[in-house]
This record gives sequence, structure tokens and C-alpha cells, in this order.
Amino acid sequence: MENNEELEQEEEEQEQNDEFEDEETLREIVAPGEVLTDDTENYIPGRGAILNKKGDKIISVIIGLKQIKKNYINVIPLRGFYTPHIGDKIIGIVLDKNPVKYVCDINAKYSGILKIKNTVKRNPKIRMRGNSRESEIPEKLFIGDAIIGKVIAADRLNSPEITLAGKYLGKKMGGIIIQIDSQKVPRIIGRNGSMIKMLKNLTNCNIFVAQNGRIWLKGFDIEHERLLIEAIYKIENEAHTTGLTDRMEGFIKNEIERRGIK
Amino acid sequence: MTLLIQDEYPKKLLRDDGLRLDGRGLTDLRPIKMEVNVIKNADGSAYIEWGNNKIFASVYGPREVHPHHLAKPDKGILRVFYRMATYSVFERKRPAPGRREKEISMIISECLEPVLFLELYPGTSFEIFIEVIDADGGTRCASTTVAALALADAGIPMRSLVTSCAVGKVDGQLITDLSGIEDKAGDSDMPCAITWFNNEISLLQFDGKMNQEEMTKSLDMLKDALEKIYHMQLDALKSKYIQIQEGIQQ
Repeated sequence: MENNEELEQEEEEQEQNDEFEDEETLREIVAPGEVLTDDTENYIPGRGAILNKKGDKIISVIIGLKQIKKNYINVIPLRGFYTPHIGDKIIGIVLDKNPVKYVCDINAKYSGILKIKNTVKRNPKIRMRGNSRESEIPEKLFIGDAIIGKVIAADRLNSPEITLAGKYLGKKMGGIIIQIDSQKVPRIIGRNGSMIKMLKNLTNCNIFVAQNGRIWLKGFDIEHERLLIEAIYKIENEAHTTGLTDRMEGFIKNEIERRGIK
Repeated sequence: MTLLIQDEYPKKLLRDDGLRLDGRGLTDLRPIKMEVNVIKNADGSAYIEWGNNKIFASVYGPREVHPHHLAKPDKGILRVFYRMATYSVFERKRPAPGRREKEISMIISECLEPVLFLELYPGTSFEIFIEVIDADGGTRCASTTVAALALADAGIPMRSLVTSCAVGKVDGQLITDLSGIEDKAGDSDMPCAITWFNNEISLLQFDGKMNQEEMTKSLDMLKDALEKIYHMQLDALKSKYIQIQEGIQQ
């Protein structure tokens, strides 16, 4: 458990705005092609919405929850696929390697490219590349290894490029990786990280939620890990409902008592 | 002794009381049941029971194109694979895709293309696999309807859903939603699909004879039928989420 202390610090960076906010407002589910509003003078189509051809209606393009923010009408997606963006932290699995690069499955439409120059060994003292002779040797990866990487280049046409140089990035040993819908990731993290903090405190597990919908977790015993996985799947299933954090807290406390986990 | 079964159709397709052979009125639809998210490993999936038709559709994508030479540099492609199970029809169907399956795959793909934003996903493909488990007339309409539902379930951006139904003529009377026997023995048959974002016809095939007046009238009948099916599609898409919401509120 040499990297235990290091893992705990990963918590800090899990801060992201919760897209599912406005808990109290009624959540209306809309389907593609449904009219969101006829009032095009006061509202502008935002995320997941477009103007129709005549320009007199705003329609939804995905299945999701209707949300009005200022004068924007958004649709928060309930299903979808992951599109890589620069700066995203992702969990990948090495699929193939050659003398120039590694090819990683990152759950996107293209596989990620990891060049050898970006696979540096981390310096355990400062958790970054550099400052020691050892850190200049590239880290050797094998097919099937799980890595936490960061996207450094991504566009519509080319395969995204990823790097292992940076804080908390690198090869992952041990733990469990599970996969959820990448559109539900903001819900797992919660507003200002409230949900993920609650999960960590109650189950004593280390969690890393990557933007591509993969979640790495490691606990002290299998009971806690199983409870956590169940809780994560429950959050994914009920992501469109209100008051989720409180309900999940109750669920986990109940289950701990019922199962007799210490 | 070999068993020879000849296709025999009744001489009259309308009963004496004016109803059809299966007891429907002239403009009644067959019972329709739809469900989404039925295949776990697919990105999106849907199932439909339309009368005796039973059809599964699954959607994968966007993903890299194989074979690679089919990929287009400026837009994505939509590929549809319509297949019928060997036991889906009365006489065993040979499993290799034939002329009819290739045609239906093509028309469904061309019918669904206008609702997708393919220009946003260059070099990739969306793939729809349609598997007909049981067939009894109107599978291309049912397949189009269920494929649109599966695309929406996968979370792929779409301008609107696509709905499809058939109208036709038997014994000189216009009818909606032809069953297998009416399709084969009737006078004419016209499957049609509509895209709801512009209310335009996306698929129209015609077979048989009809005069201009009947054509106009049948398009009106079609509009009523399509509207009914569209609401069923919306219900099927949303009911999964609404059920969870209601279960928690209680």
C-alpha cells in the first residue's frame, strides 16, 4: 500500500459543476423532436436543443431532462456516448503496442494514442516527471494494463492523444474498474463533489471517477467494495430523480447495518 | 411423403359485416407494444410487437468503420442490417441476405439519414442491426419505427423520431396497416414513413393500382395512423424513466 497516501489526495480534483442542479424544479423528460418552447424571442437554444427550420420553435435533439437557465433552454442528456475533450482525465486500457506508441481503449469513437515520450515514470516524492534520473526512463506498459491519463489533443477527425505525465496520472495497480454511462458522471460526483465525498466517507474506499465513464475503486475489504459498486449503479439508474444524495446516504447506512459490515 | 402447402388466399378479404378478416375496422391498427433498452451490450436497443411481427433493433456507434474504405472524410455513415430469422416466415427462409433484405436495409438507412447529424461525426459509422424474429406483413414499417426508437435510446442526437405505417386497398376499400394476407392478396400497398421535424415524407413505396382520389384519401388516413404510433413511440421512450421517478415518489 505504498501509494495509499497518494490516492487520498486524488479527492481534491474531483470538483465539477453538477449539471443536474435545480433539484426542486419539476423534471420534465423530453424525447428527440419534441417542442421545448414556441417563444423564440425570449429563449435561446442551449445544449441539446436546436431551432427548427422555420425558426419558430425550439426542439430537443436527445432524450433528456428539460432545464431552463436564464434565457437558455438546455436538455441534460440521459443517454449518450463519450466525446474526448482536451484536459479530460480518463481511464484507458492498453490494447496494442509498437515501438512508437501504445493504443488504448478509452470508450470513445477512436482509440487513444499514447506516445512513448508521454509515458514517464513518476517521481514518488513529487508525483511528477523530472527531478531524478529514474524518472527519465519511460514507464513500460503491457497489453491489458489500466492507466489513468489526460487528453492533450482531441478533435473530430483524429485519434485523441493522451499523456501520463502529470499529477496522479500513470499506471493503476490493484482495485476494480467499473463502467457506467459517461453522461451520468456529473451525478456520481455531485454538486461540488458532495456525492463522491459521501460515498468515500461511508464506505472507506478510494474512488477515481474518470470523464469517460470508467470508475476505479479500491477499498479495505470486499464487502465495502461491493456495497459501493451497488450504490454507484443505483445512482446511475436513478440519476434523473430529485433528492438523490440524501436518499443514497440513507441507502448506504441501511445496507451497512443490514449486512453487518464493520 | 413430402408435405406440399400451397399459398391459398380467401376470395374476399372483407367480411360481410364490413370488417376485415381479423375483425378490425378499415382504419384500425393492429395491437402495438414497444419497449426500449432490451439488449444490455448494445449502445441503444428497442423491441416492437406489431400484430404478429416481432422485431429487435440494436444500435452501435459512433465507431470506426470496418472495412475502412467505406469511411467518408466529411461525414459519418449510417449502415442498416435488416435480417430475417429462418423461422420468421411460413416456409424456411435461407439465412443468407438476399435481394429483398439488401433493398430494405438500404431504404431504411436512407429513410433515417435526414434526422441524424451525420456531418458532426466524420469518418465514423452508426450501425443498426434489425432482426425480424416473426414476420406477418409490414415488417419494413415496423423496422423503421423500431430503428428510430433504438437510435433515440442510444442518446444519438436526432432532429426527431421517424414513424412508419402502410395503407392499401383490398376489395375496392382503402385500409390502414395491412396484415400479411392483405399485403399479398390485396389490390395495392403503400408503406410510408414521416420525419416529424418537418412533417415530410421520408419513405414512400407503392405497389398495385390506385387512382388519384384514392391516393389523396389514403395519405390522409396515413396521417391519423402515424400520429397514433408516434405517441406510442414517445410513451415507450419515456416510460422507463417515468416509472423510476414515480416509484421513488411513492
